[in-house]
Amino acid sequence: MNANEYQGSFLGRISIRRNQVVVMDAIHEQELEDIELFQKHVSDRFSELSSPSDDDAILSISWLRKLLDVFLCCEAEFEAILLMDRDPYQLSKPPFDRLIPELLDRAVKALDICNAVTNGVESVRHCQKLAEIAISALDQKPIGDGEVKRAKRALITLMAAINLDDKDGTNAKSTERSWSFGRRSGNKDRVAGQFRSLSWQVAKNWSAAKQIQSTIYNLVAPRGAEASGLPSPIYTMNVIMIFVMWALVAAIPCQERTGLPTHFPVPKQLNWAHSLIGLQEKIADEWKKKEKKGMAGLLDEMQRMEKSAQSLIDFTDSFQFPGDAEKLQEAAGHVAELTEICRIMEQGLTPLQMHIREVFHRIVRSRTEFLDVLEKGSLPVI
Amino acid sequence: MDGCQSTEGDLHVVAAAHHIVKALGATKNLTDDLRKILIDLDTHLSMITSNTDSGGGRGFVDVEEQLKQAERKILSWESDPTMIWDSGPREASEYLEAVYEIQTLVDGLRRLSVHENRKQKELLHRATSVLQTAMSRLEEELIHVLVQHRQLFEPKHMSSRSTRRVVVYDDSFVSVDDEPAKETSSRNCPSDEIGEYIVDLVRADVIPDIKSIAKVMFTSNYGPEFCEAFIGVRKEALEQYSAILETEELGIEDVLKMEWTSMSSKMNKWTWSMKIIVQVYLASEKRLCDLVLGDFGSVSSFCFLEISKATILCLLNFGEAIAMGPHQPEKLLRLLDMYETLADLLRDIDTLFSEEASSFVRLQFHVLLERFGVSSIAAFEAFQVAISSNGSLYPFPGGGVHPLNKYVMNYISMLPEYCNTLNLLLKDQHVDVADQVTDPDNGPNLSLSTSCPMSCHLRSITSSLESNLYRKSQLYKDEALQHIFLMNNIHYLVQKVKGSELRLFFGDEWIRKHNGKFQQHANNYERATWSSVICFLKDDNPGSSPVLKSTFKEQCRGFSIAFEEVYKTQTSWCIPDPQLREDLRISTSLKVVLAYRTFLGRNPAHIEDKCVKHTVEHVEKQLLDLFEGSPRSLRNSRRW
Repeated sequence: MNANEYQGSFLGRISIRRNQVVVMDAIHEQELEDIELFQKHVSDRFSELSSPSDDDAILSISWLRKLLDVFLCCEAEFEAILLMDRDPYQLSKPPFDRLIPELLDRAVKALDICNAVTNGVESVRHCQKLAEIAISALDQKPIGDGEVKRAKRALITLMAAINLDDKDGTNAKSTERSWSFGRRSGNKDRVAGQFRSLSWQVAKNWSAAKQIQSTIYNLVAPRGAEASGLPSPIYTMNVIMIFVMWALVAAIPCQERTGLPTHFPVPKQLNWAHSLIGLQEKIADEWKKKEKKGMAGLLDEMQRMEKSAQSLIDFTDSFQFPGDAEKLQEAAGHVAELTEICRIMEQGLTPLQMHIREVFHRIVRSRTEFLDVLEKGSLPVI
Repeated sequence: MDGCQSTEGDLHVVAAAHHIVKALGATKNLTDDLRKILIDLDTHLSMITSNTDSGGGRGFVDVEEQLKQAERKILSWESDPTMIWDSGPREASEYLEAVYEIQTLVDGLRRLSVHENRKQKELLHRATSVLQTAMSRLEEELIHVLVQHRQLFEPKHMSSRSTRRVVVYDDSFVSVDDEPAKETSSRNCPSDEIGEYIVDLVRADVIPDIKSIAKVMFTSNYGPEFCEAFIGVRKEALEQYSAILETEELGIEDVLKMEWTSMSSKMNKWTWSMKIIVQVYLASEKRLCDLVLGDFGSVSSFCFLEISKATILCLLNFGEAIAMGPHQPEKLLRLLDMYETLADLLRDIDTLFSEEASSFVRLQFHVLLERFGVSSIAAFEAFQVAISSNGSLYPFPGGGVHPLNKYVMNYISMLPEYCNTLNLLLKDQHVDVADQVTDPDNGPNLSLSTSCPMSCHLRSITSSLESNLYRKSQLYKDEALQHIFLMNNIHYLVQKVKGSELRLFFGDEWIRKHNGKFQQHANNYERATWSSVICFLKDDNPGSSPVLKSTFKEQCRGFSIAFEEVYKTQTSWCIPDPQLREDLRISTSLKVVLAYRTFLGRNPAHIEDKCVKHTVEHVEKQLLDLFEGSPRSLRNSRRW
């Protein structure tokens, strides 16, 4: 496309506009209806997410996948409203010349978060593998010192991984929790096997918390006339995107989450935002509680795993062959719980990663479309 | 066997068998397998004899004895600070023997109905405990062996290709190197030597040791621990290697914000990192996994995937970030490099990640290749748009070769290198075929034909460029300078095409046509400048009597003034190409000097007149000053 082509259609559009004011009004009506419908859908979807069934506790793997689905649906509707039959020139005028680039900037930050979270799922998978070792040890009948030692070793590594300080991927600090490894070889051959270095595969100074913080920055709800036009769904989409990213970061371990913001500046009077704000507050509360103890994330399955693992560690600590029948039964219960969690993880972690990838690709595609429109709508270069 | 009543004859047979087994066990040169079988048999035989006793006395004493021996062996190492596998093959194999023995005992004891027998329970308990101790130790040994004997290799075949030519694009087009240094292009780089270049990441002679550890751990169902340790060490090694190659993890946001020179060098680095990592490192890693874990089914590919996942996805991420970025024209060559590299490596990637579990890796890279293709096309189109839209407010001083021309021609002269890729990508792209040429001689090689997609696009580009240059020429007030400008620039275009591989794509007819064009401009220049000057020297009335002195004076004066004017103006004009300059001077000279000489010759009587300011030789000489690029005014020749 060269400059001449731009000129032609631009001028053509202006003349159309002059002659069809009445038609434009009707289109505007339609647009308002679409926006309202969009926001109703948003409200409904988040309302559904707020009242999960037993299988989908908030921040469980399946709940997160539902959240990602909600994002994809909302995004599709949003794109339709903004881009379908849209005069590109309109989106280059104020306030869209500011709002759209801001949205796209947030989208890019979201992409980095998607990648960080996808990598974070790897560390969850690692925990799953360690739990499985413990399970296979304690499933032996009868349980003896050998099995108990084996399980304890795996469980301690598991707990160390769960309580890993996000800041430092390699677990140099918690060697005192190790199963007395390294006494032979000193520090020469660092026993990497037990503490598989979990480098986060993101840039060294990258911080998930800071990234989230910077997406929230400058997020201002539209006021006055803008609140009833296109700026409104743009704001909605921004909030949804930020919320989804935030929830993912809260759930899945990734680099540097200390200082994760717990408050979103979303005005409570927005109808569509009620459920979302409610969810956000619930999750934020949980986060604040656990933050003090240091944790690997609020992923429901990880929380349950941590509990069971801790109980089993207590069991192994107090175990003496042949073992107390009551304690053995209790332990068997925890093992069953762990088994169930591992089963869920086995089935759900890879699909979760695929799902996040899907969101990633969608954001990329959508960004490209918006950029194309902006390019078309900008004044031609003379 | 359980609970069966043996006759005394049976017992003798069993006892005899037992002796034979023990004798065999004492022979040297037993393979591990055979030894294990014998131990197994020994245990079973012991248990047969044990069942004849109600309390499990003597048989279990044998078992207990075996257990004690193996236990002693294993536990003795616990207090020993040296590594077993550092202490020699004999120590190692003795240790393994002990472990196998324990393993067999555990298996055997488990198979008996142990619930009632307290002694059996105790033995089993003790055995599993010892087994766990051994497994723990073996894990340490494994890590030690892997770390001690790993091998790094230097990427000596790959030169860092940051020395490649960088065409810098900026709006003023001033920073363009017209004669770029002939750096090695990726074609010449010995990357093709790399191919599949498998190295030993761990010294080959310790592989059997690692395998033996793997075997014993897997047989004892401690496979997961083995994998954890193995993956951990190998992953760390790969990360160290990536650090050597300086592959950094960059966020997408960072990449999008990067400025061009930095991005260009990182794109280069990605290109050769990909080659090394995929074709050398990962191929070698896969082989290592197969060697060590090949006997255990899908474990080998699982471990390989876990080891390599993070690194390969980091490379993928950078590629995706680049593909997402704004598609400025200067990125085209680097994008094409990345495209071609990835296209070459796809087969390797498909092979390395051929399992179901790793299919997502394959898929992502295939998608990435498509994205590179799309980005390349976008950059190419941006290039074309940039050419059309490059505007000038002021005419280019001196009428020489415009920087836009230089930039575009230098740029496209690098494209033939990528003609296969470009033809593939541009196949379905529409092109304005304003400059159609029919070249009857397409030759057998269709990709080099002047009608292949790349050729069409190239001609479209030069056509755009010509239009742009034409617009720029209109900025000159002086028509003659317009022609000089166009002559210079089209000549430059043609020279660039003729002097490079571009000639194969533009074809002879295009060259002929454009030769004609600049020639036309040369002619136009002459007409525009010199017609009016020579006009003064015309003989209105040929063949008549010699002209009047006053007329002669007038003509002479007119000519001198016009000539001096031209001299003053056109000495500051520029014809950079020496050959062209020479040709134009000769052509001009012929006309002008001839006309002057004829004029003077017609009026021999008046030659001595002082109105004749310039001799013919003088005129001739001064014509040589034209187009030097530095303005001069005529020093008056001596009056005579």
